[in-house]
Amino acid sequence: MSHTMRAISGMIVIAGAWFLQGCAAPEPSQDLLAPTEAQMKLRSFQSRTFDVKDRQLAMRGVIAVLQDLGFIIERANEPLGLVTAARFAEPNFYDVLGVTVTVRQQQEGRMLIRANAIYNNKPIEDPKVYQNFFAALERSLFIAKE
Amino acid sequence: MTGRGLLAGVCLILSGLAAGCVTPTQPAEFFQLTPESPRNKAMQTRFFETKDEAELLSASAAVLQDLGFQVEESVQDVGFLRATKERSAREYGQDIGRFFAFLLSFGKFIMPVDLHQKIAATLVARPINPEGTRQEVRIMFYRVVWKGDGQADRQYIPPGQQKMEMLRDPVMYQQFFAKLSKAVFLEAFTL
Repeated sequence: MSHTMRAISGMIVIAGAWFLQGCAAPEPSQDLLAPTEAQMKLRSFQSRTFDVKDRQLAMRGVIAVLQDLGFIIERANEPLGLVTAARFAEPNFYDVLGVTVTVRQQQEGRMLIRANAIYNNKPIEDPKVYQNFFAALERSLFIAKE
Repeated sequence: MTGRGLLAGVCLILSGLAAGCVTPTQPAEFFQLTPESPRNKAMQTRFFETKDEAELLSASAAVLQDLGFQVEESVQDVGFLRATKERSAREYGQDIGRFFAFLLSFGKFIMPVDLHQKIAATLVARPINPEGTRQEVRIMFYRVVWKGDGQADRQYIPPGQQKMEMLRDPVMYQQFFAKLSKAVFLEAFTL
């Protein structure tokens, strides 16, 4: 009898300990904010450098190409080199595609252009999308230079 | 035997749920020029032989004001303007359609009709040659329409359903540029 009791109480202790462990909040890991490899990769295909003389010229090129692609320019901030635009995923008007482009001078005559695109508030992580955007931008900046 | 059938059923349901979670195809093609792009660009763009970009921009704002728009955003350094106006979106055609739908469904279906709309314009002016003697003005119009309420059988359809669309009526653009060229005393060129 006492043998079974002891076994049961032992089980209860183990179960209790297990429950307690479940209640403890998980410790945030040390590298929570450290960049992961996926983030680095994403950043690398979202950015590209272009040989453009000044930032305003590059920004105007970005705005022109976004308009060519059918985007509505929503906001622009020249001092910060920021352009925000959006478009409907035509022919369907319920899905919205948004994009934020930043233009920063990396060194004299070289501009770092970074684009972040979202589709229905979800970030786009497909490199093809950014390749297409930069291809169109390159063409537009090249035409503007002539 | 039943156990296996049950398991297969659960697997099927789970895979169905998983399929529901899959994100829609990534829109790579939205960053590519389409066959319509050059046509839209030609419709939305005019050229002006002037050095004065600021004057062109302020005249554009004035024309938009004449058309009843409120300027909401302006950035002179990149020649950018955004303006909106809100108007009623009631159309007789839709009300007639609503009436017949009501009759034909024996009073069971009350179709929601367009009630209110917000028309917006974004405009960008920029020099297109290095000397800055020739300017390009590009404007795009679009609108958001809100529908009123309705009813389908016993199901009430709440108001506020939205629809958005780009406005691609060439007449609208021609009228805007006619007014703009009058305002700056300059002829507007197309490509």
